[in-house]
Amino acid sequence: MMTANTSGLDVSALTLRDALDLAVLIEEEARDRYLEFAEQMEMHRTPEAARFFRFMSENEEKHRVELAERREKHFGDAPVNVTRAMLFDVEAPEYDEARAFMTVREALESALRSEEKAASFFASALAGLRDPDVRGLFGELHAEEIEHQRLVRAQLAKAPAEPLVHPSEIADEPHAID
Amino acid sequence: MTTVALGPKDFKSELKPIWCPGCGDFGVLQALYRALSGIGRAPHEIAFVSGIGCSSRIPGYTTAYGFNTVHGRALPIAQGIKLARPELLVLVAGGDGDGFSIGGGHVAHAVRRNFDLTYLVMDNQIYGLTKGQLSPTSPHGLETATSPYGSLEDPVNPLAYVLSYGAGFVAQGTPADMPGLAKIVEEAIRYPGFAFVNIQSPCVTYGQEVQQMKVHKATMKTLASVGHDQTDRIAAMRLAQDYGKALYTGVFYRNPEPPPTFEALVRERQTAQGERPAREKILDRYLQRAT
Amino acid sequence: MRAWIEIGKETGAEEQMAEDLIIGMAGSGGDGIVSAGEALVSAAASEGFHAMMTKSFGSQIRGGESSCRVRLSIRRLHNPGGVLDVAVALNWEDFLRFGAELPVGGDTVVIYEEATGVAPHEIPLPGVLPREVFAVPIDALAKEAMGTDKAKTSVVLGLLAGWFDIAPAGILRGMAKRWGKKGPEVLSGNEKAFALGQRYAAEHPLAVARKLSRPPDERVGKQLLLDGNDMCAAAAIFAGCEVFGGYPITPSTEVMQFLTREIWKYGGAVLQAEDEIASIGVAVGASYAGKKAMTATSGPGMSLKTEILGLASLAELPLVLLNVQRGGPSTGSPTKPEQSDLFQAAFSAHGDVLRPILAPTTVADTFRVTVEAFNLAEHYQTPVIILSDQEIAQRKETVEPIEFSRFDVLSRREPAGAELEHYRRFLLTESGISPISHPGMVGGNYLAAGIEHNEHGDPTVSGKMHALMNEKRFRKLAPLERRHDLFEIVGPADAPLGLVSWGSNAGVCREAMELARARGLQVKLLVPTLIYPVAREVYEGFFASVEAGLVVEQSHQGQLYRILRMYVDVPRGVTSLARSGANPFQPAEVAAKLAELALGLQVRHGRQAQE
Repeated sequence: MMTANTSGLDVSALTLRDALDLAVLIEEEARDRYLEFAEQMEMHRTPEAARFFRFMSENEEKHRVELAERREKHFGDAPVNVTRAMLFDVEAPEYDEARAFMTVREALESALRSEEKAASFFASALAGLRDPDVRGLFGELHAEEIEHQRLVRAQLAKAPAEPLVHPSEIADEPHAID
Repeated sequence: MTTVALGPKDFKSELKPIWCPGCGDFGVLQALYRALSGIGRAPHEIAFVSGIGCSSRIPGYTTAYGFNTVHGRALPIAQGIKLARPELLVLVAGGDGDGFSIGGGHVAHAVRRNFDLTYLVMDNQIYGLTKGQLSPTSPHGLETATSPYGSLEDPVNPLAYVLSYGAGFVAQGTPADMPGLAKIVEEAIRYPGFAFVNIQSPCVTYGQEVQQMKVHKATMKTLASVGHDQTDRIAAMRLAQDYGKALYTGVFYRNPEPPPTFEALVRERQTAQGERPAREKILDRYLQRAT
Repeated sequence: MRAWIEIGKETGAEEQMAEDLIIGMAGSGGDGIVSAGEALVSAAASEGFHAMMTKSFGSQIRGGESSCRVRLSIRRLHNPGGVLDVAVALNWEDFLRFGAELPVGGDTVVIYEEATGVAPHEIPLPGVLPREVFAVPIDALAKEAMGTDKAKTSVVLGLLAGWFDIAPAGILRGMAKRWGKKGPEVLSGNEKAFALGQRYAAEHPLAVARKLSRPPDERVGKQLLLDGNDMCAAAAIFAGCEVFGGYPITPSTEVMQFLTREIWKYGGAVLQAEDEIASIGVAVGASYAGKKAMTATSGPGMSLKTEILGLASLAELPLVLLNVQRGGPSTGSPTKPEQSDLFQAAFSAHGDVLRPILAPTTVADTFRVTVEAFNLAEHYQTPVIILSDQEIAQRKETVEPIEFSRFDVLSRREPAGAELEHYRRFLLTESGISPISHPGMVGGNYLAAGIEHNEHGDPTVSGKMHALMNEKRFRKLAPLERRHDLFEIVGPADAPLGLVSWGSNAGVCREAMELARARGLQVKLLVPTLIYPVAREVYEGFFASVEAGLVVEQSHQGQLYRILRMYVDVPRGVTSLARSGANPFQPAEVAAKLAELALGLQVRHGRQAQE
């Protein structure tokens, strides 16, 4: 089975080791993307969203470390068969989610879409999985994504309402450079 | 030439992109890092040349030797580099305006000379860095800063142009499928000759709705999925006619028997001259002997 | 300058020895008159004469009117000279089209085709009574020799060899080389035509014989004969040029043609680009890649190249650009010399840019100047413009063998060792020169760009950094103004009359100065090789030492004079002698102007004495 976000990888036939490696890389991809977003926001004077993306990046890194430790505990330095080239945008927000002057609420919404995307990745993978250990891992990861969604939703509930005028409407026009 | 194990991060420079958040070029950059790590040439053996425009800032975001030149002239300058040091991996990048408007005259000649260059055009159908004017690939009727009532011109078809110039490698990709794009770029770099990749890289600030990555994701179609034979130039030409209507990704054409590159022919000619004469002999032929 | 030594007075014979002979010939392209000139100049060069040849054509690509001017001397030549000593007209219509280039005077011996039907006293040269006029049956003699008029030029060569004793052995050697390949009949026919010409001359002696003096034996078989374009290309090879990007344009194309024949042997390459812009692009790319690179063009091409020239200035890339000047603006007069691209060379840039400009004055000088251009480009990491002109570029002249060991060849300063640990491409040094890496060099990675950069090469919008970098780019070139060796001053130090001239016109002024001195005038001459930046000290010193002077150049505006006035307090007595037009100044024109200046000085001094 292939999914829309992976290639060259039969998710339904994953071993636990490969599944752990995949999970690590999914977190790594999300970490890197959030960091890219944070830098983009910093570069474009959108500090609140930048802070939020950096926070998300750090969270993803935490998860990655946890998963990586588990992998090491179970499999030591056994070779890794899964590569970053085999996955794309699993939990990472898509490149065009970023916008200059995006509000915290928009950033949160973008993160929520990513968590939903990740949850549905694991859900659809679970449907085809046979290996009980891998099922167990993916079930756990799926539950985590659902939990993350809850946390983001909670933050969204607390987030300030969208301003009457969007910051991008107030910002100066882009300016010509070269 | 050294081949070492390098990861995508080894090609990422300290410089932070000035591109607007949401720009397609971010994905192109990641795809390039990945392609270069696949190739494995060390950054100092790579010369990365560009013109002017948003996308032409890309060399600075890599650890390779970069040359961000003037508008439209990246190809001639890249050819000079390759002529001087054929052992380098030379990449060329720019936008649709750089490649098909102000620098349009150079493309045909770069193709026919067939230096081993990889030319990446980030095609966004608009002039972004000057704030949203008509570009050579803007569709007919497009309203822009310089066509407030709609463009009166038909766009250039980069794929068909470069195919008909006779390029040995023509492909298209989109950052909406970054891993796919990385593979295409890597394949283009590996092609021994002039390789062209048209990258549909949306402008998030001035681009049309239908050109955004979400639309790409929904509409893109791999050439493999339509059963295209990439050694068939005529079939490639037929599919290229859909530029602007359908978004095909993958390799349109790859010459199964790549002809010798310009630099190989240069080397051949230099070798054929035999032993290098002393430079002091250069004027001997002008001596007016009295015998 | 002509010098007739009247030995007739001493010997009683009617004979003069000529030390210097100017021959002008014209015909239709089909006559091969220019080839005859080539044969003449080559023969004379092999026999040790100083020789010089210029050509001039009508607008047709082939078969129109054509002419050449050959000057032979036992003394060093500075220019193709003025009024002809010998005029050869194969037909009058074609000859007259070159009125300004082939001036006939009272001392000229005129030789023309009898079949034109023009009587010697009716030749169409109003206002001139030439010294001697010969209507020669050139056509008939050719037919007699070979059964065809195609041997006409061999008859002409025979006439010249006979009357003026010009290198007959050399001419015959040249004929054997040229016609030998075409078969024995062609060769013997031409030889016979030559002999008939000689015989005709012997049977019709000049009223006052003029035999050309023999040059010293040590020059026999030792001289080179070539034009400025070939010399420039050869010098580029010597200087280590490895990549040439070019595009055909008159009158510079021969540089590319030479290099594309030779450069491969030295591991280099020529790329004939798709346009002028691409051709400089290729050169700049090669320079960025660490190789010595060059491009060549003329005015219109220079206009197209200026954007990338700016890139090379900002990215501090060495580059040599040769501009062989022709008449402008626009297409102008592509086959004629002019010195009107100086403003363009100095100022055609956006932003604050300083590009060194060098100008050769002769074919021989073109070697020195080209090597210097590469050295400056490499040392200072800057584009350097060589401003040659059509006159030097396409005229052939004899040159003594180059003493290659006298020339240093410099290369750019590359970073090494610790400099590559935290490499800063545009390091702000005291000299303004920063070690330059190139792709392929470990640790030297940087971004070259047309956009302003910081020391690392990263783009910046900082106005402060821009100002610092501008200052650096100018600072590094400041020592140039103190390069006194790039200036030559000839003539007595205390001469009150001064000339300043550059490019091919410097040679005209050298001769004008001699003419003037022969008339008792005290003149000295300043010839700059470095045209820009303006070496203030040199000019100020020179101007302070004279009472009156002329800046002589072939442009309508007097571009050098005006540039000097931008930088130097040019005294009122120093004025501009400048004009455009197809032909360079003639020495006599400048000498006459000097005489006027001297007269003016006397009037002024007289007035001062009265006061």
